[in-house]
Amino acid sequence: MLKRMLILLLVAAFLCLGMQLFAAQQGPGDPVIVAKRTADLSPDEAFDADFGDDLGAAEVPKKLISDPLEPLNRGVFWVNDKLYFYLFKPIARGYRLVVPRQARVSVGNVFSNIATPIRAGNALLQLKFRDFGTELYRFVINTTFGIGGLFDLAESVAGVKPVIEDFGQTLGYYGSGHGFYLVLPVVGPSSLRDGAGSFVDSFADPFRYADLETLEYFGIKFWDAENRLSLDRDTYEGIVRDSIDPYLFIRAAYAQRRLAQVGQNTYNINLFQNPLFDTDLFDPFDWFGFE
Amino acid sequence: MMKKIFLVGLLVLISAVYCYAVPEPQAQVETMVNSVLSVMQNPELSVEEKKEQISGRVQQFLDIASMSQRTLGTYWDGATPEQRRYFSELFVKVLEGTYLNRIDDYSDGAVKYQKQRVKDDKAIIDTVIVAKELEIPVQYKMIFVDGRWQVFDLVIEGVSLIRNYRESYGEIIRREGYEGLFALMEEKVGAAPQEQVVQ
Repeated sequence: MLKRMLILLLVAAFLCLGMQLFAAQQGPGDPVIVAKRTADLSPDEAFDADFGDDLGAAEVPKKLISDPLEPLNRGVFWVNDKLYFYLFKPIARGYRLVVPRQARVSVGNVFSNIATPIRAGNALLQLKFRDFGTELYRFVINTTFGIGGLFDLAESVAGVKPVIEDFGQTLGYYGSGHGFYLVLPVVGPSSLRDGAGSFVDSFADPFRYADLETLEYFGIKFWDAENRLSLDRDTYEGIVRDSIDPYLFIRAAYAQRRLAQVGQNTYNINLFQNPLFDTDLFDPFDWFGFE
Repeated sequence: MMKKIFLVGLLVLISAVYCYAVPEPQAQVETMVNSVLSVMQNPELSVEEKKEQISGRVQQFLDIASMSQRTLGTYWDGATPEQRRYFSELFVKVLEGTYLNRIDDYSDGAVKYQKQRVKDDKAIIDTVIVAKELEIPVQYKMIFVDGRWQVFDLVIEGVSLIRNYRESYGEIIRREGYEGLFALMEEKVGAAPQEQVVQ
């Protein structure tokens, strides 16, 4: 336990250091976009925030994400690309032939259900109590009526969708930027913040405590990834085919997607201005999608 | 009395119709999406014919000039009129190539319209594409130019298309200049129809 705490502390220190370094490196002429929480804005401001970014070509171009390790990242990107086309995709294709689609969807549901602690925990860390409730509700319904998570009844029947949260987003929520862009081997696009986030999240992953051999653990992760790939509609192929520099395209898309995920805020508690609890939390009608 | 109310009601209605004679942004997006869907779901057309028809239909709803300008961002100001014109020309082809290639994937999709926000000459339309168990949020950003609403950006799951292009293209111009970018775009546009991904 002590060892674990120590690792966490180290990660935190590493992160702070990274942020500091980059804060120092970036001059005023090189601003990086920071996620805005749309829930805090008035509708008018939210409109401008949603819209304004693309207006006025004359404004100082803002960087989505800094990438000081680009040569290294491009190298890893190249390796990942080869791994994708010559290893992971062929396996996914074979898997797709053998296992019917519905079964693969169910496998994905089970993996997603097991990962509930990660999403719920991060919702809680961000004080998004409604999202925490949503995850709890989904877990209970899908584990029981959905037979161990095989069927996502919470979504298909009640229309309650999962809340995508992870520790990278939690850090972003409290104002941390990406640090810098990282392409991780096999895993793909990430950043200092999000990579450290995934590491922290792995402590909330039930598989970690399932008493598995290392090989078994990675086998399960591999299955999860291949299963997801088998359900994907050739997204990566499309990008490679259509963009003139897939590396730059994916980097920008990653940064934008993460920015949107951090900024999107279904409920934000403000202790000083609002009631402590969102009343909707107790409204089952709302939960079931009734107005 | 009733007659008066009726008359006033009628007047209000007429004036309302007058105000909305120019299609609202959302209506414009719906027209565009429906005309694309009608081509895609027509079983008599081959894939090539579909692509051809859709490309013509979509272009009239897009503000190509504004898309090109926003994509180049600061580099638009530094470009000569000739470079601007050539970029727009190539950019349309790049966009078409990208989106026409993905058409088949979403031909079974339905579009749900969520919300329309209008402020002055700008509008944001929130929609969701529903295909199989996937739900993809797509946001259309529009501006009012030349007397009609035109789309100039698509935001898919929080990723703005124009923003993405701007990041990549800006980087390429910084490194290799306009000519370098044009060369890469030409290559892509020329290669796009031949290169097919093995399914």
